[in-house]
Amino acid sequence: MSEGNLRVGRVLRASSRGFVVGCRVMTPDIPVFGSFVRAEGLSPGSEIYGLIYDVSVEDDPFVRQFIGADPPDEIVKDQRENRQIPIEVSVLAVGARQCLDGDGETMRHCLPPQPPVTLDWLYQCSDEQVRAFTARFDYFRLVLEARDAPADELLATSLRAAAAARPKHEREAFLVEAGRELARLLAGDPVRLEGLLRQLRSEETE
Amino acid sequence: MTLELNKLTAQVQAMGQELASRRREYADLVTLARGWLTEYADQGERLRRSEAASVRAAIPTGEPFDIPHPLPAIPERFTFIAADGSQIQPDRHGAALYYLINVGSLVYRRGSGETPEAKSEPALGYTEANLYESGRLVTGNLLDVRRDLAEITRLADLCAAEPSGPTVAVVDGTLLLWVLEERSAEWQHAKVMTYLDQLNRIRESGAAVAAFTSRPRRAEVTQLLHLASLGGDAGRASQETNPLKRLPDRAVFEMLPPGARSAIFISPSSINHEYYQPAGHAVHFFYLNLAAEERDPVIARVESPAWVVEDADHLALVHASIVAQARIAGGYPYALARADELAFIGGSEREAFEEMVTTSLLRASVRPALSPKAYYKSLTRQGRRRHRV
Repeated sequence: MSEGNLRVGRVLRASSRGFVVGCRVMTPDIPVFGSFVRAEGLSPGSEIYGLIYDVSVEDDPFVRQFIGADPPDEIVKDQRENRQIPIEVSVLAVGARQCLDGDGETMRHCLPPQPPVTLDWLYQCSDEQVRAFTARFDYFRLVLEARDAPADELLATSLRAAAAARPKHEREAFLVEAGRELARLLAGDPVRLEGLLRQLRSEETE
Repeated sequence: MTLELNKLTAQVQAMGQELASRRREYADLVTLARGWLTEYADQGERLRRSEAASVRAAIPTGEPFDIPHPLPAIPERFTFIAADGSQIQPDRHGAALYYLINVGSLVYRRGSGETPEAKSEPALGYTEANLYESGRLVTGNLLDVRRDLAEITRLADLCAAEPSGPTVAVVDGTLLLWVLEERSAEWQHAKVMTYLDQLNRIRESGAAVAAFTSRPRRAEVTQLLHLASLGGDAGRASQETNPLKRLPDRAVFEMLPPGARSAIFISPSSINHEYYQPAGHAVHFFYLNLAAEERDPVIARVESPAWVVEDADHLALVHASIVAQARIAGGYPYALARADELAFIGGSEREAFEEMVTTSLLRASVRPALSPKAYYKSLTRQGRRRHRV
């Protein structure tokens, strides 16, 4: 799916809960809603993991001139490629990888101890990194409790991405396991659970 | 808030009434002017022999005054190159004495499907040799002249680099370099000749060149009509008050059909006569209705040198390409709007640049200091504080 060093953009602003990245143009691969991304942490070797939950394209009065005008291709390219279109990508922090004192490292599904700093690069995670991060489902809680993100949609889409990062024969088992974890977490909210499971089922059949 | 808006209420109301009454007066003047335009439409040849330039009246060409020239077919493919400049004036109250000229340009190849080439090129003047001309600080008109030269040079460079094909190079405003008459004749000559050298380069490249003025306020055709109403007597025209004095030419030409241009005239500017004409670049102009069908007129003034307007293909290309460009975004050529955007130095950019200058001075062990006036302005203009409720 990806090489792991694909840059999404640079950090514009950040907090412990998440961060916003600015980038100039969208490509077919990045930035995609529900993608796993990572930024380097402040301590050496550490990384912050997140999920893209919003991609917004800002307008300006000049662009609005062309909305009803059916502009020629040259204008569209000029506006997209030459003018600095401020595309903002919002990321929900869902975990951190930290180096241990010895040689090992640990992946934790929690808010990062420190957010990334301005102008840090944000990378798309490789398939291997996605598989490693989604070996456990503890990050579900952070997504389900997110206030600003469309939590259920985000979780379902990220699980689709995590399944796609696995070999074909493992995908169904992975999604079933994820469904079980959701059933445990949302036992008190059957309506929400049903909606989420329905999204997962539709992904299984796709 | 220092501006006490409540004290302006009555004045603003009076201004509104004054403008409404002026508009009614305008309507009568427009009727008179259009009547004269028709009445004297064929007197171009006779008026050309009169001293029209001496009363700052447009000089007629062979075209009847009142015949609109419809929009030619817009070519499928052509290149439209625009350049525009902006500047930071030297500030003797600032941390250092310098000026900055930033020229933006856009090369737009219609019908190519290519991304237009956008460029912004800043130039900083800070040496004694750069900052002073004949002992005068390069500011005001001196800096405007340098900016105009930088714009036309950029256009000439881009035209020279452009592969052959129909190409139009456009600046905002005028092709007539505005040099103050108080300067010496040698100085004026040197500056204007530098400008004309760039027009020569554009001509040699095979491109056409034009200047575009949005909502022009010139009153040279109305002055010509006044002269015509006096039988072409320039002496009387200079003595007697022109009833159309305050009527801009564009008001007369609001009757042009969408996309059509007016007759072509020659600029009566003395610089045009003294420098441009002998060099083969006599600046001609026409008015152009940029509006689409069934829209209110949008009148612009377009200037081009003689070698452009006397070449039917060049003239048609200038006419059609400006209308095509202006209709993209509504009333103003797209490439010029982008060149302006690329040249514009915004407040935050200016602050960032001033910080760069300060840092550079500190690194060079120079302690930058604002003048006391600039220092107090920096304190008082950052927004007045209010008492918290």
